Amino acid sequence: MRCGYGLAAVPGSDARFFTLDTSFLRLRRTVNPTRIQFGSFKIKAKIDEARKEMSFYELLGIPETGTLPEIKQAYKQLARKYHPDVSPPDRVEEYTEWFIRVQEAYETLSDPRTRALYDKDLALGIHLAFSTRRRYQYDEELEERSEWRNRWQSQLSELKRRSMNRDAGGNMSWGARMRRQRDEFSKEQ
Amino acid sequence: MVLAMALCAFSFPTIINRAADSDARKSTTPFTSHSHGETDLLFQSLHKLNQVKVRKRPGVVYASLSEGAEYHSQRPPTPLLDTINYPIHMKNLSVKELKQLADELRSDVIFHVSKTGGHLGSSLGVVELTVALHYVFNAPKDKVLWDVGHQSYPHKILTGRRDKMHTMRQTNGLAGFTKRSESEYDCFGTGHSSTTISAGLGMAVGRDLKGERNHVVAVIGDGAMTAGQAYEAMNNAGYLDSDMIVILNDNKQVSLPTANLDGPIPPVGALSSALSRLQSNRPLRELREVAKGVTKQIGGPMHELAAKVDEYARGMISGSGSTLFEELGLYYIGPVDGHNIDDLVSILKEVKSTKTAGPVLIHVVTEKGRGYPYAERAADKYHGVAKFDPATGKQFKGSSATQSYTTYFAEALIAEAEADKNIVAIHAAMGGGTGLNIFLRRFPQRCFDVGIAEQHAVTFAAGLACEGLKPFCAIYSSFMQRAYDQVVHDVDLQKLPVRFAMDRAGLVGADGPTHCGAFDVTFMACLPNMVVMAPSDEAELFHMVATAAAIDDRPSCFRYPRGNGVGVQLPPGNKGVPLEIGKGRVLIEGERVALLGYGTAVQSCLAAASLLESHGLRLTVADARFCKPLDHTLVRKLAKSHEVLITVEEGSIGGFGSHVAQFLALDGLLDGTVKWRPLVLPDQYIDHGSPADQLAQAGLTPSHIAATVFNVLGQKREALEIMSSRN
Repeated sequence: MRCGYGLAAVPGSDARFFTLDTSFLRLRRTVNPTRIQFGSFKIKAKIDEARKEMSFYELLGIPETGTLPEIKQAYKQLARKYHPDVSPPDRVEEYTEWFIRVQEAYETLSDPRTRALYDKDLALGIHLAFSTRRRYQYDEELEERSEWRNRWQSQLSELKRRSMNRDAGGNMSWGARMRRQRDEFSKEQ
Repeated sequence: MVLAMALCAFSFPTIINRAADSDARKSTTPFTSHSHGETDLLFQSLHKLNQVKVRKRPGVVYASLSEGAEYHSQRPPTPLLDTINYPIHMKNLSVKELKQLADELRSDVIFHVSKTGGHLGSSLGVVELTVALHYVFNAPKDKVLWDVGHQSYPHKILTGRRDKMHTMRQTNGLAGFTKRSESEYDCFGTGHSSTTISAGLGMAVGRDLKGERNHVVAVIGDGAMTAGQAYEAMNNAGYLDSDMIVILNDNKQVSLPTANLDGPIPPVGALSSALSRLQSNRPLRELREVAKGVTKQIGGPMHELAAKVDEYARGMISGSGSTLFEELGLYYIGPVDGHNIDDLVSILKEVKSTKTAGPVLIHVVTEKGRGYPYAERAADKYHGVAKFDPATGKQFKGSSATQSYTTYFAEALIAEAEADKNIVAIHAAMGGGTGLNIFLRRFPQRCFDVGIAEQHAVTFAAGLACEGLKPFCAIYSSFMQRAYDQVVHDVDLQKLPVRFAMDRAGLVGADGPTHCGAFDVTFMACLPNMVVMAPSDEAELFHMVATAAAIDDRPSCFRYPRGNGVGVQLPPGNKGVPLEIGKGRVLIEGERVALLGYGTAVQSCLAAASLLESHGLRLTVADARFCKPLDHTLVRKLAKSHEVLITVEEGSIGGFGSHVAQFLALDGLLDGTVKWRPLVLPDQYIDHGSPADQLAQAGLTPSHIAATVFNVLGQKREALEIMSSRN
């Protein structure tokens, strides 16, 4: 279970952090609050991996149905906490990483379009971190293309509908007259 | 790197094998025969590749190069394309196979253009469109018209001319544009832009009058839409309501060539922003659905009312750009992804099957140079290229000691503009071709690109001249034909000092008769107020630019050809000295025979004179410089002191020679002893080819001139000698 492992590892890196501030970790998934010593390189790497596994909602500590004010509040809280200028000196790097991730989470979730795309991805089980922006651009293009497809499909059906009645008696354009003439001629044949 | 080298070494035989496998479908394998013969070339090309990525798609024979970045200096494998000689062979393909066909077609186009040079970017942009059109429609019964024609390379490959693609733009080879006499699939000859909607409408109306049922499709680009004729045609099409399809090929490159020196040109004019708004507009589909519901409710009999409501709804919803076409009477569909064959085929099928559609405009969005990364990344999208190496994209540009007349003109104009702040330059979407991109870089505020609108350019220049500015209109001799009424009525009649710099005068080589500037001396010199001059070399060009800048009381023009200078010394600081108007010069003093040349034909005269030296004849060679006003003194002197006077020009009848003849006649000189003979372009259109071949066909080479001299002198034998000894 990815989040369980990850979140267990993270507080292990800073027990104080975990115990003081459990409120922000309002998780939907169960957490195993074991303490893992922040020791080896391997574990640190795993921690980083695990951090990446956290969804933006979990990062900010809000439910997936969180509204924009909730997102903003969570972001402000966390930004104030993890900003490099106010973080404890021996954990600057770590906190900065958190700060960056929180930042990214806020940017994605505060824009309803990108949030919608992110939610879609999450539902599919994909969580992408820093690469999301590029994907969103690509997705935007795809979205635009599908907009186009919808539009011209409706235009085509409109054309069909319109052309049923076009050459009705009233239409005196040159083309309509020629078409009627041609159809009559071929009927006679 | 080592891995790449190893791959090169080891994958070389495997590529050959794969090619052999892929050719299993057909019996003859031209690829394998090539490969065995020229294995070194293939190996070298593989070496040059940055990435040797070998991709295999399951179930499909590998032919694509767009993602795999593997370019062949040899002919790329095209198994599916090999089975298609005419569009009828495409009819049984599935959409998936069509996609493969498009990929193969793309690589074939790149391969062929790399060998012959030509227009690459535009052809690459319409590969999918061409495949879709020929799949859905039945050429040649259904008419497909390609505006400008330089994007017709895929069309030519698919319509039975693939085996001749290696002769593209060469003497006796395929034309670089569509040409009726070349194939029945080329229904209209194009070359100047914005003509296809007009021609297509004519074909549609002709079809209606004859009572037939074929389709007419006119493909036109967004650049060509900046010309007025496109709107004239659409307006008429909307009024006549005849069935036809206009495909607007929009690649956001509203200018030609598509870049200036510093990067791609942002679109010119207001039209392109309308088109881009069209592309990016997000209509309120809910409102559209409501509108549909409303019309449904109104019910059966009230057709017209429903149609009206719908029209308004469409106008509200479909964005501010499409209403332009709707107002003109064309039904707008789009934008459509022009590289998605699925979409294109389904739309075209739908429109084809709709009876009584009237004129329909399908807005297709493509990317110029698509599928060849070097083209996609280049600022000018590889619009027109010389021969190049497909693997690296590097063009093989020949080196020359001198620069082109175009460049010299631009430099001359810059020098003049430095001295005089009233000088401005105008061109019609030909910044690269006229050299005014160089002027633009130096004087960004004084260079105007009006789009493909020569008529507007001339009257616009006339307006500028009214305000005391000194406009230089740089328009190709051939394109000036479009603006002739404006030249006569708006400029010459009112004696406004507009200067016309006519590039590409005379024969132009590979572009052929569509771009040939044969008529400009004729139609300019007959105008009462126009000063008409032509430089015989690049130094003269500098002087004539200065002369034109100095002529401030009447319009003036000068013509210069395509090609490079001869290598004379340029005036210091690129600043020419104004010539005395109406005065020519004598280059070589001789006796008995005088050659009076106009423009760069003087160089041919000089060459002819040196040919004849060995035969003991010392000719006089004179450079007339001015056709109007003609140097009467010079002509009189030449006529009175020589037996034979031959006038030479690279122009049609009615030009310089005719003016000389007129003067001779009026002055009584034809009643005397001199024999006058003119050498002009013949009364036919000279086909595309190399400049040397064209000149030979026109009969204006130095050998021809020398032979003419002998003929007039009665020395027929020597004339034959000269003609047969030329190589």
